[in-house]
Order: sequence, then structure tokens, then C-alpha cells
Amino acid sequence: MEEMVDISVEFGRLRLANPVFTASGTCGYADELGDFVDINKLGGFITKSITQQPRKGNDTPRIVETDSGMLNAIGLANIGLDKFIEEKLPVIEKLSVPVFVNVAGETIEEYAAVAERLADRQEIAGFELNISCPNVAKGGISFGTEAWQVREITSAMKRACGEKMLMVKLSPAVTDISVIARAAVDAGADALSLINTFTAMVVDIESRKPILANRTGGLSGPAIKPIAVYLVNKVYTEVAKDRGVPILGMGGIRNASDAIEFIIAGASAVAVGTSNFVEPGCAIKIIEGIKQYCTGKNITNIKDLVGSLE
Amino acid sequence: MSEEQTANVKGVFDAVVFFNKQIGKRFYRLGLEFSGAGAEAFGNFRPGQFAQLDLRGIALPDGESVPAELADAAQRKILLRRPFSFADVTKKDNKTRVEILYCVVGPASLRMTTLVAGNSVNIIGPLGNGFGVPEGKETALLVVGGMGAGPLECLAKVLTADYPTMEVVAFAGARTAKELPFERQLDAISQQLGFAVPEFSKYGIESLLATDDGSAGHHGMVTELAAEWLGKCSTANEKIIIYACGPEQMLSRVAEIAKGKNIDCQLSMERRMACGFGVCQSCAVECRAGDSNETIYKLCCKDGPVFDAKEVVF
Repeated sequence: MEEMVDISVEFGRLRLANPVFTASGTCGYADELGDFVDINKLGGFITKSITQQPRKGNDTPRIVETDSGMLNAIGLANIGLDKFIEEKLPVIEKLSVPVFVNVAGETIEEYAAVAERLADRQEIAGFELNISCPNVAKGGISFGTEAWQVREITSAMKRACGEKMLMVKLSPAVTDISVIARAAVDAGADALSLINTFTAMVVDIESRKPILANRTGGLSGPAIKPIAVYLVNKVYTEVAKDRGVPILGMGGIRNASDAIEFIIAGASAVAVGTSNFVEPGCAIKIIEGIKQYCTGKNITNIKDLVGSLE
Repeated sequence: MSEEQTANVKGVFDAVVFFNKQIGKRFYRLGLEFSGAGAEAFGNFRPGQFAQLDLRGIALPDGESVPAELADAAQRKILLRRPFSFADVTKKDNKTRVEILYCVVGPASLRMTTLVAGNSVNIIGPLGNGFGVPEGKETALLVVGGMGAGPLECLAKVLTADYPTMEVVAFAGARTAKELPFERQLDAISQQLGFAVPEFSKYGIESLLATDDGSAGHHGMVTELAAEWLGKCSTANEKIIIYACGPEQMLSRVAEIAKGKNIDCQLSMERRMACGFGVCQSCAVECRAGDSNETIYKLCCKDGPVFDAKEVVF
């Protein structure tokens, strides 16, 4: 019976074997999860953020656990574009799964420079534009909260990334996420991914200081899931559906039921983030669980489930 | 156990609890037994490595058993795994038994206290690099601060088994006698003879205690004891190695002592971590980049938890 279910999805111009990605920043550059998971079984893979120059990242503590969630303030620590090309692309080349490179920077020029260098590389399927990182002083979220800036940076990235697919990752920390989503789509985004983390703080009541060295961090995990589902549905109904732009939904997904909620709300595909830290094999389990759900509900093609919210 | 890293296979395994006993006010030892692939993976451990325990599904103790100071913490739902290094590893009949030492400090360790023999715990490991023994070492000092006892007890066992001619001596410190995470302290005569801690004396290793308040052993810092012992040690400095695990301030002082005498020194570091296998990038340890003044962040989980004292920036 299971063979009857088609869970492959059209994601922009890509055909994915299934709708499950691992989210940027939770699965390394390429094969770090490879000890636990066959990466090639995923629908898609997104690298951690790459910047033009290497970044050391923030001081520690960089994480703190909260109720059903965690705060992180890694600060876009990464090896930089040169080393990424030299050391990680050869690993990515061996993968059959479509790989998106998450791109970050402090200026539009830096973002574009990363995309330009990678635009003609066969190893990668596309880019995820990170304009929603809450943990850096410059760049990141500061590009993602005003529509005009979103248009400007998305246009620049669109020019830089050539034929490659461009996905724009949105922050939930805005007045109206649909305004931002529309700006990204108007400027050429081929897909939208949402949501990034919420800026949050945990206070040590003994020292009266924030626990994180960066003071604040991004809240992720099951705690944010209902908000993420709501925002995916809002962007789907107000922007993405009419414009034919697929959504990669994420925020606190840890099992197939969570993933299916996002798909019903309007996501064409989903990404697993924080749960990779706890259960590195959970993305694969979710793929199986989605298949079983579809079989049980006599859904022969998962696209019938996307945005089926009544 | 040699200096070069042997790549051991890590994985996700279920282990069965074979004991969980309280050894002090807040201290417990948990015994976990692995079979099959888990037994093989953990059988190839290196002292100093660690494992990530999934404790989400474990029940909290009854209300009255929760210490008042942890009542608020007990209300918090946990999400992430918790890292523990091994205090002892024993292979027997295709099984591998791993003991960990833990201290009840928050919502996860509080849950651990309710584990009983027969319970199953999901574990990722073995993780990290572990301690190494460079060529030509004749004397090893193990410097323990509080909960740092676990990995050094494991190392003590391996050193005495694999390097029978090596002189090994342990130094253990805490704020008070009650905060020493050992099952019991030996009697006054044994202490007089320099065998204060049964966890080390069972391997024939001399051990000396220090407490900040003088309630056991030397009244002062454990690093003072170690430095004093080194002053009297007749082994040439290049044939000595110091291994340490404990609070950051203690490690910093141990690193200084080692640097001053040009003695090799390996430190087991601790950081808040989410994954334990290198993807979350949380557990950064600031290290010197070669001989330059530049520093880089290494990962405690993957590049460590054991670091050469010379590279760590305190």
C-alpha cells in the first residue's frame, strides 16, 4: 500500500523525493549528521550560514534551555566562503540530495559576493537568504524587518545567484510577516522559508545577568511551533498561494504530526531544526510518518494535503 | 591508549540501567549496560569521552523528595540531552557496562534519581576525543575538582592497567568534605598513608584531598597540593603529565602550574551544549591559533572535551 503514496514534492523548479529538510544551523555544513542519518534520504539539506569571511561567533554561553525550547546565540560562526568551497563543496558534491547554501553577511555586497562565487557550482541547488538571524550586531535580522530593505537585498541576491533557486528566510519578529513575504516575492524570491527564531532572554536570578553572553538569543523548539504554524498559514493565504511560491515551514517540528500540521497550514515542505540536536534521526522518522499518515487517510499525492486547512 | 586518535564509531543506543545509587547528599552513580552494537561502540571508549543521555521521558521524584531549592526547577520541562563522561567502563560477556557520576542540580538530574534497575535510557555516544598518553611519561598527576572526578577515575583505571610502571597520583578538591563526590572516605590511617579516596585507592593509586574549609584533607586549594607534590617529585618534568577536570578557575590554575614547569597537561573542559556531536556550535572553547596572538573557537564536544592546556585561553 505504502508504495501507492507519492510524497515527492515540487518545490519551485526542484522535484524533491520527499518534503523533509534539515534546517540551517542544526546540521552543519554537509555530512556532520552523517554518523546518524543517511543525508541522501532527506528531501533537502540546508547548510549553516556561510559568510564571505570566516566568523568566530559569540562568546559562551551560547545556548540555554527553556521550557520546551532553547535559546541560541551562536553568532553565525562559520569557516567562511573560501574554506567552504575548498573543504565542504567536495563533500556536498558526493551527496545526491538537493543542497541549499544559507547565506549571511553584514552588507548587501557581502551577501551577493557569496552567491556570485557559488552561482555556477553544480553541487548546490540554491540559496537560502538569511535576513532573520537575531544574534549578530550587523546584518542578519536588520535586513529582514523593513519591506524596502527586503526588496533591495532579495533583488541583489537574485542577480547574484544566476540560475540557482533563491529562498528567503523570514523572521517572525515583524509587525506583519505578509508584508515582508510580499516584498521578497516581488523582488524575485523563488521560495520562502519561515520561521527563524524569536529574540528572547533568560535571566540568572543569582547574578541578575542574562545567561547568554550575547544577552539575548533566538528561541526555537516545540515552544514556538503554534506561532510558526499560524505564520505559515498567514503567509500562505495572503501571499504564497496566489503567487505560486512554495513555503518551507519550520519551527519546533519534532515528529510527523508536527510536520503534517505545517503542510496542512500551507507549507510545501518542512524543515527540522532543534530536534536534530536531541534525536539526530528524527527527520528520517518524520518522512516515514508522513507516508503512513497519507496511507491511512487515502491521500495518494501529498500535494493534496498542502494548504488543505479548512 | 596512545596519543593518536582512534576513530571510534558513535551512534544512538538504548542502555539498560543496572544500578542507580546515591553516594552523598547530591551525588549519585548510575550504571548503564549496553548490548550488541552499543556494547561494541562503548567498549572502544577512551577515558575522557562522554555520552548524551535523553532524559525527557523520565519521571520526576515525588513532590516531597524534591529538595526545596529545586522545587522551581522541577517544574521545567526538559528538551535537550545531558552530557556525562564515564567514571568507569567494564567489558564482560559481549556487554559493556558504563558508570557515570552525577550531581543533582536541576530538572534533568532530578529526573535521573528516579531511574531503577531495568529502565531503558537512550544514549548517543561515545563522543569527543578523550585523554591521550604521550610517549615517555613516567608520572601522571590527576587533579580533580568536585564533579571532575568521573573522567579521571576512568583514566586512573586505564593508566594502571595499560601503563603498570607509571606512577599515578590523584588530588581531589571541593569546597567542603560533603561536596567531594566519592562514595566514602577511607579511615584516618589510610588518609595518613595518602590513600584518601577509595575510587582511586582501588587501583592502588595514592590520593590526597583538599577542601576550601578544611573539613577534609588539606585546608586550601587542590592546586596547592598538586604544586607542592610536584615540588618534591624527582621525575624529570618532561616525563610528567598532568590531567585535570574541574571548575574553570581550577583548570586555569593547573594550566599555569604546568606552563611554569613546562609540563605536559591535558584539561577536560565543560560547556553548555545542545547536540554533543558538532552541529549546534554552542560549546565553544577559546583556543590559541598556533603561535600567533589570534584566537579561535574550538568545540568542546568534538575537538574536546580534552584540550592541551597550552592552547586554551582562560
